[in-house]
Amino acid sequence: MTTIIDQQGKPKLGAADLRLKNNRLGMTIFQISWIMVFLALIIVNWQLRFSYSQWPPAGVAPFDPLLPSAATLALLLSSVLVRRGLQTLRRNHLGGFLMRWRGAMVLGLAFMAIIVYEFASVSDAAMATQYGVTMRLMTGFHFVHALAILAIMARVYRGGAAGSYSGDERHSWPVEGTAKLWYFVTLAWLMFYVVLYWIR
Amino acid sequence: MATIAVPLGAQGEQQEADALRRPALSDYLRWSVDHKIIGVQYGVSAFLFFMIGGAMAMLIRLELWTPALDVMVSGAAYNSLFTIHGTIMIFLFIIPMWAAFGNFVVPLQLGAKDMAFPWLNAFAFWLIPPAAVIVLLGYFVSPAEAGWTSYPPLSTLFSGDGQTLWALGAHLLGISSIMGSINFIVTIFNMRPPEMTLWRMPLLCWAVLATSIIAVMATPFLAGALTLLLLDRVAGTTFFDAAGGGDVLLWQNIFWFYSHPAVYIMVLPGMGVLSEVLSVHSRKPVFGYRMVGLSSMGIAFVGFTVWAHHMFTSLQPELRIPFMITTMIIAVPTGIKMFSWLGTIWGGKIRFTSAMLFALGFLSLFVIGGISGVMLAALPFDIHVHDTYFVVSHFHFVLFGGSVFAVYAALYHWFPKVTGRMMNERLGQIHFLFTYFGFLFTFFPMHVVGMLGMPRRVAVYVEAFQPWNQLISFSAFVLGFSSFIVIYNVIKSYYHGPIAGANPWRALTLEWQTTSPPPATNFADDPIPFEDPYGYGTEASGAYLDAVDEAFSGAQPARSGSH
Amino acid sequence: MDNTRSNIPAISPAAVVVTAVFLLVSVIGINWFTTFVPVVLPEQASAESKSVDELFYILMIIGGVVFFMIQGMLLISVIAFRARPGDHSDGPTYHGNPLLEVIWTVIPAMVVVFLAVVSYNIWTQNSEPKASVNMVEGQSISINVTGARYAWTHQYVTERFDEAGNQIVINSGPDLHTFIGQNVDLTLQTQDVIHSYWAPAMRVKQDLLPGDPAQGGRPTQLRFTPVRVEGRAYPAEYPIVCAELCGDGHGRMRGSVIVYEDENQFLDLFYEPAIHAILNPPADPVLRGEMEIQNYICNSCHILDSLDWTATTGPSLNGIAERAGERVPGQSAEEYIATSIWNSGAFRVPGYDQQMAAFGPDVVEAANVMTPEQLYSIVAYLCTQGEGSDCDMDNASTAIPDAIQTVFGYEVDITFGMDGDAGAESADAEAEAGEDSA
Repeated sequence: MTTIIDQQGKPKLGAADLRLKNNRLGMTIFQISWIMVFLALIIVNWQLRFSYSQWPPAGVAPFDPLLPSAATLALLLSSVLVRRGLQTLRRNHLGGFLMRWRGAMVLGLAFMAIIVYEFASVSDAAMATQYGVTMRLMTGFHFVHALAILAIMARVYRGGAAGSYSGDERHSWPVEGTAKLWYFVTLAWLMFYVVLYWIR
Repeated sequence: MATIAVPLGAQGEQQEADALRRPALSDYLRWSVDHKIIGVQYGVSAFLFFMIGGAMAMLIRLELWTPALDVMVSGAAYNSLFTIHGTIMIFLFIIPMWAAFGNFVVPLQLGAKDMAFPWLNAFAFWLIPPAAVIVLLGYFVSPAEAGWTSYPPLSTLFSGDGQTLWALGAHLLGISSIMGSINFIVTIFNMRPPEMTLWRMPLLCWAVLATSIIAVMATPFLAGALTLLLLDRVAGTTFFDAAGGGDVLLWQNIFWFYSHPAVYIMVLPGMGVLSEVLSVHSRKPVFGYRMVGLSSMGIAFVGFTVWAHHMFTSLQPELRIPFMITTMIIAVPTGIKMFSWLGTIWGGKIRFTSAMLFALGFLSLFVIGGISGVMLAALPFDIHVHDTYFVVSHFHFVLFGGSVFAVYAALYHWFPKVTGRMMNERLGQIHFLFTYFGFLFTFFPMHVVGMLGMPRRVAVYVEAFQPWNQLISFSAFVLGFSSFIVIYNVIKSYYHGPIAGANPWRALTLEWQTTSPPPATNFADDPIPFEDPYGYGTEASGAYLDAVDEAFSGAQPARSGSH
Repeated sequence: MDNTRSNIPAISPAAVVVTAVFLLVSVIGINWFTTFVPVVLPEQASAESKSVDELFYILMIIGGVVFFMIQGMLLISVIAFRARPGDHSDGPTYHGNPLLEVIWTVIPAMVVVFLAVVSYNIWTQNSEPKASVNMVEGQSISINVTGARYAWTHQYVTERFDEAGNQIVINSGPDLHTFIGQNVDLTLQTQDVIHSYWAPAMRVKQDLLPGDPAQGGRPTQLRFTPVRVEGRAYPAEYPIVCAELCGDGHGRMRGSVIVYEDENQFLDLFYEPAIHAILNPPADPVLRGEMEIQNYICNSCHILDSLDWTATTGPSLNGIAERAGERVPGQSAEEYIATSIWNSGAFRVPGYDQQMAAFGPDVVEAANVMTPEQLYSIVAYLCTQGEGSDCDMDNASTAIPDAIQTVFGYEVDITFGMDGDAGAESADAEAEAGEDSA
């Protein structure tokens, strides 16, 4: 059955490769899993619509999609920058990576600022119905995730500035993982954006 | 514990010493990232909760000995009793118990050194004790009394503060379950030896894979539902309060979208265990291996489309029919498994080990749960027995006759691997007899009282049902007593059981191709799996097993009594 | 092993014997079980119950075949295929049989499709709206059921009118009165949590769902048609229970379906006397109060020995008149009792933490509507509960209306029903009913 192989003879790279492979698959599964919570909230929104004869309910002004659209654009751009940043890092361009990452964070902050404003400016009439409440639930829930992941991005930025990452994909998992989390935030927001502002 | 690269088969005495080199008991009380330690931590804590939940069940049956409310101080106290009983059994016993066996066995079966994410693995386990404390703390405020299903508005507008703690605890347990499941999926996909394709993977791994896929897809819905419940209770929102534009069925939809698949989270690993145990102890390959593996996936998939059969009496009538059809369909993959297991033992050379007895007990009891499941799927009949003792009976046949019997089968099967010592077979047989008949006479009569008109979750009932309930309660006490036999057996065998050796059952899966208990890195070197995990009866498999025996021959394998 | 290719091992004589015995047992078993079925299900008291039980027979027969087949194969396996002592060899390496696997996928699939079709047919047949529902005296009336923790209330909105032109509503408390052949169609509403209305003998069950009271709640429907049960004396009584956990007193939340032999018996024993009692209430407010208080769900929470109430969710009403005067300083006994009923949040008896349901002239729940006149009589009745009474019973007809006036500002029409002569009339009705059934 088993043959005896010296443990020490195994290439060290194998372990790092396996770790990367595990991290990537684990991240993918986590994303599939956690997007379900956002889906659940969309279902909540939809089912509650049926409690009302019209949506938005009578006497409630629909949300203005203008500012949220700008926020969505900012988030999309931020996601693109994150991707570009990762690609730049892969080419060992640390400076370019940091610049793009910084841009992504600023755009992310802009997105969050608009969302906070939208959250705060839900009218009392809307809050008296599930129209306003589910909006706050969804944007609030999304905001918490965006905030946490932005904090991770800031950490990664500091790590990048300290030179912790290299172009080798085995040494830049924190960057890649954070980028994937940010895509996740973007995707989750796109779903919410469509449901909250465009499906009536 | 440094691994000693022992040339296999060369140093018998050294191997014997290894066989008894078990982790110190204190290792189990500490943070550890070793999947074998974590497995035992899961298992022992889950069993502890099984005993607590079981004690609550005994109180429930004591209360139901007479038609009046006499043991408990109030109906509300009784309600919180079965609420916590259900919560403990589901979230703190069955789900973690399968994480225990999954943790211990799956990496070994894959020939891996550990799980893919050892730290995450430990973290997932250590979420459980605080979650349990939070749930049980409810007893010291005002306990949750809305049942484990926690239907609002009873759970939002009426139940005590314990309900808030319940939701927090369930939240943590859900997160623990998601993290554990991600770990299993990655481990199973990435950590197999190159020789082991998916189609050569042991069926326990298939079952754990299917279970984990369900858990990662469904548990987030529980998280969503619990978040809303907490907001309604704490923040004054009205998601479930009709007076504020909410909808009580919203909870039922989201909760059951998790909780029906959760039933398969609780039983699929047991089915995986059954495939292992039946094949090994009847010395015959699993009949229709691919169909057994695929049916796990089929159950996982169809399981997502049946949730509203829990709402047959509340759903809009026109929506009930599609869910009846999907529920009927899910019987098919389950049937495939049943028939394949029968095909597995048919014509084999059955060894009546304790593990095998419990596996056969599973077959014999689970079929009753399956039949009553199809009966419940039939909408007009379900309308009559919905929310009655018939349902209580049905899910105990599935979750006790199914899952718990599989837990016991797994315990007797893998105990030698975990501890390096055999369990006492005689005690195991006695344990089986008490459990099997105690179970049968506890839960079978419940079908009848349910059909006759006894709703579930009542502390008082009409006198006509008393004889039935006394039979049920008496049998339940017998069933409760039976668990002390296995506790005694485990403790006695841990210290005084015969040395097991590497492969006491002569099983072909990889976890047996190392010492018992395995060393910290599991295998002295990369193990080579036999081409077919269940290829019993061929010369090649005989030679493989003989080679294993020889390699680990230091300690004479103490085979089971029948040898 | 020798037969790595061969199929199922040769059949041994032992297996043949076991198979024969098993077949015999299963045939006898299924036969025996069909005689046993009436023992495991309640009486078939509705048209629906017959078709549901037919489905149950079909399920039992198919389930029985599956059960005996699998247990039989298990039994044969453990007897015929046990390893003999000393036999350490393995079984045959037999990996499966695609044909067999197809068979045991396709046949169960066909069986469940068959069951789904049968169930669907029975379901549509049972839930189909009937042409004539709740017909009484050739007119369709509505029957409303209210669930509240922990009691059922049944209301019959009749097509009769009182002198003032108001529609007469009969409140029959926890009992549903119906008769053989009546197509019952209940409208169910809950006041608090989800309840589930279950009449086991009728094989029907429906949840009551909380809805927005401002939009008229979220009524659900339940239909069935009582049929004659052989050997039953009529009127026959069948249980109603709550099947959905609703809290502390869930197990106590019961009622009865009372099925009369025919419409005449229904009219004579229930409908006419009830309407007569409403049109001609007893002149004495205390007697009237005794009648009124039983139309509400008070019994679901309170103890009152005079009426055999035993629930413990709320404070006991025994001797209430002895305490009422001292509960709240500055409030007379009459005022205290009236306030406790219409404004139950005003004073909470120590040791009880549950808010009582709302009663009053304007509440949304139809079952809880209480006019000032009804309040007057109920207070008068409660004022008699106790050894001595804090109430001014000599002047009850002024003291209580004054109290209601003081607290709520309502005028009470104490002449309500004063001209009635209920006793004599209802005695007549009973006599007539006796003649009918004779």
